[in-house]
Amino acid sequence: MFDGEQLQSIRSAAGEALTPSVVRIDAKGNVSVGSRAFRFLHKDPENTRGEFKRLMGSKNVYRFAAANLEKTPEELSAQVLLSLQKDVEAQLGVRPERAVIAVPALFELPQIKATSEAARLAGLSRIETIQEPVASALASGWSADECRGAWLVYDLGGGTFDASLLETQEGLLRIVGHDGDNFLGGRDFDLALVDWLVARIRESTGVEIQRSNPEHANAVAKLKVAAEEAKIELSRATGETSIVLEGLRVGNQEIELVEQPLTRAELESVTQPLIERSLRVCERLLRKHGVKLLERIVLVGGPTMMPALRTRLEQAFGAPFGSGLDPMLLVAQGAALFAATAALDARPSAPSHVASGPRLWLQYPAMTPDTSPFIVGRALDTADQVAAVQLSRSDGEWQSEWLALAEDLSFSGMVSLKRRASSTFKVAARLASGSVVVANPPEITVVHGVSIGEPPLARTIGVARADDGVAVYFERGAPLPIRKTFTHRTVENVAPTATDYALRVPIVQGDFPFAHLCRLVGVIQIPAASLRSALPAGSAIELTLEVDRGGALSAKAFLPAQNLVFEHVEQLLAPATSVDKMLVLVGELEQRAAALRGKAFREGARTAIVTLADFEATLGAVRGDLSAARGGDQDAAEKARRALIECDGMLGDLEAANAWPELNARVYEEHTYATHWVTEFGTEQEKRALSQCMDLVERALRARSAGEIERQLRAMQRIKLTAYYRDPESWSRALDAAASDLPEATDPAKAQSLLRQGRAAEQAGNRKELERIVRELWRLYPVDSEERSLSFNSGVR
Amino acid sequence: MNRTELAENPFFVLEVPTSATRMEVERAGQKLLAQLAIGVTSVKRYKTPFGEAERDESKVRSALSALRDPEQRVIYELWAIDAPDESESGSLPAWGRALESIGWRGPCTD
Repeated sequence: MFDGEQLQSIRSAAGEALTPSVVRIDAKGNVSVGSRAFRFLHKDPENTRGEFKRLMGSKNVYRFAAANLEKTPEELSAQVLLSLQKDVEAQLGVRPERAVIAVPALFELPQIKATSEAARLAGLSRIETIQEPVASALASGWSADECRGAWLVYDLGGGTFDASLLETQEGLLRIVGHDGDNFLGGRDFDLALVDWLVARIRESTGVEIQRSNPEHANAVAKLKVAAEEAKIELSRATGETSIVLEGLRVGNQEIELVEQPLTRAELESVTQPLIERSLRVCERLLRKHGVKLLERIVLVGGPTMMPALRTRLEQAFGAPFGSGLDPMLLVAQGAALFAATAALDARPSAPSHVASGPRLWLQYPAMTPDTSPFIVGRALDTADQVAAVQLSRSDGEWQSEWLALAEDLSFSGMVSLKRRASSTFKVAARLASGSVVVANPPEITVVHGVSIGEPPLARTIGVARADDGVAVYFERGAPLPIRKTFTHRTVENVAPTATDYALRVPIVQGDFPFAHLCRLVGVIQIPAASLRSALPAGSAIELTLEVDRGGALSAKAFLPAQNLVFEHVEQLLAPATSVDKMLVLVGELEQRAAALRGKAFREGARTAIVTLADFEATLGAVRGDLSAARGGDQDAAEKARRALIECDGMLGDLEAANAWPELNARVYEEHTYATHWVTEFGTEQEKRALSQCMDLVERALRARSAGEIERQLRAMQRIKLTAYYRDPESWSRALDAAASDLPEATDPAKAQSLLRQGRAAEQAGNRKELERIVRELWRLYPVDSEERSLSFNSGVR
Repeated sequence: MNRTELAENPFFVLEVPTSATRMEVERAGQKLLAQLAIGVTSVKRYKTPFGEAERDESKVRSALSALRDPEQRVIYELWAIDAPDESESGSLPAWGRALESIGWRGPCTD
């Protein structure tokens, strides 16, 4: 709960700060949630379910044997939300109607949708979702006095590890980048300890407990619980603890008593490799963004309580941990703060008290890092005759001037906020008659705190053109949601009778100007059979790409000549990938990795070899998960799918690094051409711009940042083109070039006639007309088939 | 960069100088978003050295996002220049026609 100044967590009816996501339904259909249900998780697994969060949005259902009921993950989550609502009602006397729900950074659109569905089932009228690392960052930013510099959010959960890098400045937080490991979490620490226990039991009793043997499952489950308890105990106390297990059944054998002492040093040596793995992820993230010095580390998640982990992190990064932060509650606190910035008050809307004053429509931030934000508004009714508005802080220390209304009845003014606190302002209106009255609303509240920018688009997205070029739609870093439409031209004639032909529009992701270097993420297919009539080459096709808040891509193609719309995008690596499809992908990734490995070893490229080793480890885990998925383990299938995307990204980065010499050559070439045209025809500004652009390229070359170089090259090309087309000869030259290729045109007769018109325009000195004709001519030329096959057989340019 | 792109420079959209601090940028963006939300007509257009342009919520959000990223901001600082002066070309020595002799025919994208 956040009251504008203090964050406070609400305890459950059982008096606990946390409610485990566990639901139990007994034979009578009674539902229990949280720690009461948690006790039955191992005793009565048939009627008690946990870990359903990650399966949200999948087709899975859970059976409750005793009650003979089936429940979806959304329904179970709704039960948890209902229980939380009841706890709040019991303590505050109001039942929340709106909520902010934090979701893992890796959640995708279907899962976010399912989360909203669960909230709806629980009777919440409006929800917003926030990514967990963002929530943690907000909470830690709120409690920091002065925040400036780079922060690392180290989030070790039960099953996954997330690292986020943030930049902070005067209360403004920005997510610089994410990285993570889907196969590293508290459970892996427990399993490492289980393996250690199994080895000790074998030494002392000769009994071999196997994790892969279903008959040993019960014993393994008991070991897991004991391991977790021992781990937690050693996190609190120093020294030594003892793991005691009685009546352990292993197949047909029974071990009466296991009593195994465990020292902290032993625990540390068992978990050390896992800690190192998480550190490598952090180092990779810092290196990627060129960050050398961390100002602070924010720890999130229960496993980060382990002293060994904290010591190692401090050694590695030398930054202090945020003090006074509870790793278990940080996400919830961040969500509460986000609710404040998004003006989501959970309390039912108060019955609007009969305010008689003139009605004003006010716009202001509910929470802002700015101590003097703007308040903007307008009078809603001309009949009220409001002439000016004044805002007075309720502590009497500050008052605005009278803000006069403009012609459209709007006004704006800055207010002064109390630092790190909530400020309430009384709103007064002066009427044309000169009398001063209380306005409606009579007061507003603004909190001075932190804010966070929208999560940026991770990679540039565009459409592959038939000439192996890329039409960039969204540059990396664009704020989500985003939507853009561009017009392309088809490259060949298509008859509606062609049964096996489809016009392909490949959508690619990546910072490269060549389609074949980018990653194909989706394809719009337009089957010839769906056309109303023949589609000549050069027909216009309007494409709209859209990326929503959750990062999901959708696309639409419109053929104006035939008034046809196509919306079906064949998505690659889409949520519904089958196990078979994933196995094919594994094969493809292995081939790509083999090529990269050969090169890396020949050149002794150390970082590449390390990345490939990480890749191998991840892919190994994917194979394990895929075989579990074959046996029906949906959670494993989901994990495998995520990991495949990650593997693909790892190889993508290495492939980009290999394109370095090619990129260097292009920088040289592009610079030479640009310098030529800008020197000859550029304005002073263009000359200055080009030289500064080149400075930025050099900086990016030193930082070996391929993406940045590509962006600068695009800028350089634009400068060059502007200068080039200032050359009075430029369009004549383009016409000459088109004329020499005339026999290749798809429609030679039309090309011939355009050429004649072009010559005429040239004679008459009509540059505008000449330009129009040349552009039309270009559309008639076929695309090189080799280039086209490189660009995923794109049918547009 | 064409005139439309130049006119969409975040510094023009937000009407802040290139020397503005991050907080000043945020403040300007927040004010514009609020004014657009309540339909203040005077903010629906803005002036640039390249002519007037239309302003909407998504342009302001994009502009804010661009200026939050220091790498992008540098570029826009560079491009937040006055309108090009057509009269000042050709003051530096020319490079001649060397490129055409190696077969370069100029750009062929539209």
